[in-house]
Amino acid sequence: MRVLIQILKNFACISLIIITVSCETDITDDISLASSPPKLVINGGLERSVNTPLSSQEFRLTTTNNFLSDDPNPIISDAIVSITDGTTVWGFNHQGNGVYSNSDITLQLTKNYTITIDWNGDTYKGSDTLNEVPKFDDFFAVFEEGTIFSPEGYFLKFNSTDPINVKNYYYNRLFRNGEFLISPDPGNSQNLITSDEFFDGKQRTNVDINGEINFQLGETATGQQLGISKNYFDYLFELFTQTGNTGISFGGNPPPATIRSNVINTTIPSNRAVGFFYVVDIEEKSLLIEE
Amino acid sequence: MKLYTSILFGLFFATIQAQENFTLSGYVMDASSGESLWGVNIIVGTNQGTITNDYGFYSITLKKGTYTVEFSSLGFKTITKKIVINGNVKLNFEMEEDTAALDEVVITSSKASRNLKSTEMSVISIKPAIMKKLPTGLGEVDLVKSIQLLPGVSSVSEGSSGFNVRGGSADQNLVLLDEATIYNASHLLGFFSVFNADAVKDVKLYKGAIPATFGGRLSSVLDIKQREGNTKEFNGELGLGLISSRALIEGPIGKGKNDEGKGSYLLAGRRSYIDVFAPLIDDFKDTKLFFYDVNLKANYDLNDKNHLFLSGYFGRDSFEIDKVFGNTYGNGSATLRWTSELSDKLFFQTSAIYSDYEYQVDVLTSGSEFRWKSNIENYNFKPRLSYFISSGNTLRIGADFTYYNFNPGEISALNNSSTTAQDFQDKKALEIASYVDFENKISDKLSLQYGIRLSNFSRLGNETITQYANGSPLTYNPTLDTFEENAVIGRTNFDSGSGIENFNNIEPRASARYLWNNTTSLKASYNRNYQYLHLISNSTSATPLDIWTPSGPYLKPQYSDQFALGYFKTLKNKAYDFSVEAYYKDLRDVTDFVDGADLLFQKNIETQIVQGKGRAYGLELQLNKNYGKLTGWASYTLAKSERQVTGINNNTYYPSNNDQTHELSIVGVYKLNDRWDFGANFVYGSGKPVTYPTGKFEQNGLIVADYEGRNSNRLPAFHRLDLSATLNPKKGKNGKWIFSIGNVYNKQNAATIFFRERVNEVNDVNIPTGKTEASKFSFLGIVPSVTYEFKF
Repeated sequence: MRVLIQILKNFACISLIIITVSCETDITDDISLASSPPKLVINGGLERSVNTPLSSQEFRLTTTNNFLSDDPNPIISDAIVSITDGTTVWGFNHQGNGVYSNSDITLQLTKNYTITIDWNGDTYKGSDTLNEVPKFDDFFAVFEEGTIFSPEGYFLKFNSTDPINVKNYYYNRLFRNGEFLISPDPGNSQNLITSDEFFDGKQRTNVDINGEINFQLGETATGQQLGISKNYFDYLFELFTQTGNTGISFGGNPPPATIRSNVINTTIPSNRAVGFFYVVDIEEKSLLIEE
Repeated sequence: MKLYTSILFGLFFATIQAQENFTLSGYVMDASSGESLWGVNIIVGTNQGTITNDYGFYSITLKKGTYTVEFSSLGFKTITKKIVINGNVKLNFEMEEDTAALDEVVITSSKASRNLKSTEMSVISIKPAIMKKLPTGLGEVDLVKSIQLLPGVSSVSEGSSGFNVRGGSADQNLVLLDEATIYNASHLLGFFSVFNADAVKDVKLYKGAIPATFGGRLSSVLDIKQREGNTKEFNGELGLGLISSRALIEGPIGKGKNDEGKGSYLLAGRRSYIDVFAPLIDDFKDTKLFFYDVNLKANYDLNDKNHLFLSGYFGRDSFEIDKVFGNTYGNGSATLRWTSELSDKLFFQTSAIYSDYEYQVDVLTSGSEFRWKSNIENYNFKPRLSYFISSGNTLRIGADFTYYNFNPGEISALNNSSTTAQDFQDKKALEIASYVDFENKISDKLSLQYGIRLSNFSRLGNETITQYANGSPLTYNPTLDTFEENAVIGRTNFDSGSGIENFNNIEPRASARYLWNNTTSLKASYNRNYQYLHLISNSTSATPLDIWTPSGPYLKPQYSDQFALGYFKTLKNKAYDFSVEAYYKDLRDVTDFVDGADLLFQKNIETQIVQGKGRAYGLELQLNKNYGKLTGWASYTLAKSERQVTGINNNTYYPSNNDQTHELSIVGVYKLNDRWDFGANFVYGSGKPVTYPTGKFEQNGLIVADYEGRNSNRLPAFHRLDLSATLNPKKGKNGKWIFSIGNVYNKQNAATIFFRERVNEVNDVNIPTGKTEASKFSFLGIVPSVTYEFKF
């Protein structure tokens, strides 16, 4: 619902193909990009799931590297990380491969959680709030024919009722046989996240978890509806807009800019961190795709 | 107001010193069609002259005596007459088309002498007859693309009909079609402009030295006049092209003197038929895509001195993918004008104009089908009085009243979906401008044109305005280098018609021409312009989803000051002419958007907009060859355009999106014989600014780019060559073939270079790989086209 620009971009591609001889060339090997000094990256956050509780909370810390580098992002193993809800402090220890975890923390609705990261002489802080997510009223898979925007196959769908007079922000996640799946699609900023601005208090029906990703018979399909904060919604909106960018200048192509993290370097603010420290509530269901 | 009246009276009293002078006045028309001709040079004796106004009217005051009067205009045979002045003389002239000249002459000597002698500078004019001789990139004669070949004007991107003038952004151009504002001048995502060359009589672009009679945009005025139609006989024309076809009919209305009509009409239409071919490609069988437009013009002589004109335009683009998406957009406008010759020295004109731009988007994804509609309407009333005081001295006073209604959007559910209907508040505004413009000949060498425009813009209710903490929707946080939204602390309702916010501004305009000698002149100009409307679009090019929004409590009007100097020279008896212009433009309160701005379906647009300043300067050189078998021009522009906006690029100046350092165009038309004409353009331009990533990181299973600053990289330079050949019919025969090849050597110019994560396609799904790539997107490779035209 948020922005149709992505659709418009597809529209641009189509009309271009029809009216002109357009052409895309891979120039990865012909271009060299400058790199800024490595920045702290936080990838992950805290997740509360009533249906399938997590045994521990974890996220990953790395640094940025050159955009065209084939190397993975270098991990950070020497950070000191803690999270607090204002009264209790939980320490997070490095488990290897940049992953930090803690198994004592129990998340509570409406609480605000603050992360503190000490790394490389600087202190970084960021916080997010846990917002309750409504249940699925129904959860099912439907077979659909392909269109120019989506493939053919089984698609996960749900019905869910939005709580009235509360501002809700949603993010849908999809798993195939337990593996998280996402496609850098132009429609993500419209299809994977949404606010209840236009359906406050109403039931939504036949909502796609992810209309880009199909399932075949015999696969286990897991869908999640996440209750997220407005800040995380805004962050994801920018993130999906940028990662879904098809590179065509019409149909709305905002000048690219860094996506502001909620994790702030309190020692030297201009030494920014990237990524978002989120706290989310999850409604999750799974089913086996059958005829 | 006092200042205004005293200036007016001062001017009148200074000039009304009745001498033993008489007035020569009348109209100049095209002999074949009877249409009035504007911009005709009238030269009396050696050092007096005037030009016809927009309606072909001229008036010149002369002392008693016998004079040689010369009438000259682009593409017409020059008329030279001896006229005895011993009283007021009224003479109408008909000028015959100079077909030979039209074929040979791209820019005639009359224009060369006009460039030399007029106080106008920074002005470009181009005739449809010339546009039609030039190669077309996509096989459609395109007015805006022809203008882009001239110095100081650049294209927003290759093949686009969006244009930037002297470092200004695309929304700073005032586009007028018979005085009606056109808000979106492009078809098919900017590949074609909405103006049908068949229906266009004349085009004039003011890049600077904008006279006080125009206002409302910072960078330029594109003034397009539609043809009026043939008053003598019925005519029809058909043009068949690969992308679109067009038809035109024109003819006289009523019976007047000499068996000629008392008026005339013209009706022209175009429709593209790309959609006809779409079903042939399986992937696009459910896709519809087309545009059409209709131009109408009629005029009627009430009597010798009073004329009525009616002019209209209606165009739509339509795009639909069955069960997925639909989009239509377009402009509509209507102008009713009355001109009256009050006396041989006083000319009055007034226009009532309606203009509308709207778009509609249907999203047909199952479960949340809805329709989004937005439009901008304006009602305009423009009276003007021209007083032809004496040779070289003309006073124009007038006013522009414009009432705007902006509908930022309304949403309605389709197919009983759960989407809640919503209607964003309309915004209403009234703009009143009054002006005085005076052309003043000081001596044979020195002429001035100066004036003042007083503009008033009021935002009117009914509207509810949101109040924010700190009195502003956004506060800049210097520590985080980001804008934070302020809390909403209340809402104020303004009743219908009550004033919400009011702006009053003074816009001085002045230019001077000094004739150094018979072949050389020097010019200088200054002008200040205010712009009260802002285009809400964070794309570099025009999109159909553009929304205009008015200045108001949280959005200041933009303004600019431009200084320009010019050197104009004719060579070899006007066979060549050469000009150099330098300009400096200072822009204030120009709009930009916060990083990651969300502009569509945005109720509180003020939370997404930031305003900053800009500067643009440059040097423009042009050499025209006016006679001979080979005619044409070469133009070169060296320019810089920068912006400074808090919160962007660490608060320092950065190159604006349209900054282009070098731009070179070479245009030639060669007449081989009576049947074959050839045309060529070569264009070179340095790359526009872009922002490349400075790092990558992972988030949510996707690779994300990190950026520092804005526009610190450049696309590669582009160049292309277009060729055309026209096969004219044999004498007495009908039918003309126009062959054109766009981008002859198939140069794959980069339209964009973008960076993304590589994907693997598995079962039609793009799965990210964790690897990155850079990709260049180019369109408009070699495009051959053919058009067939015939008259009936």
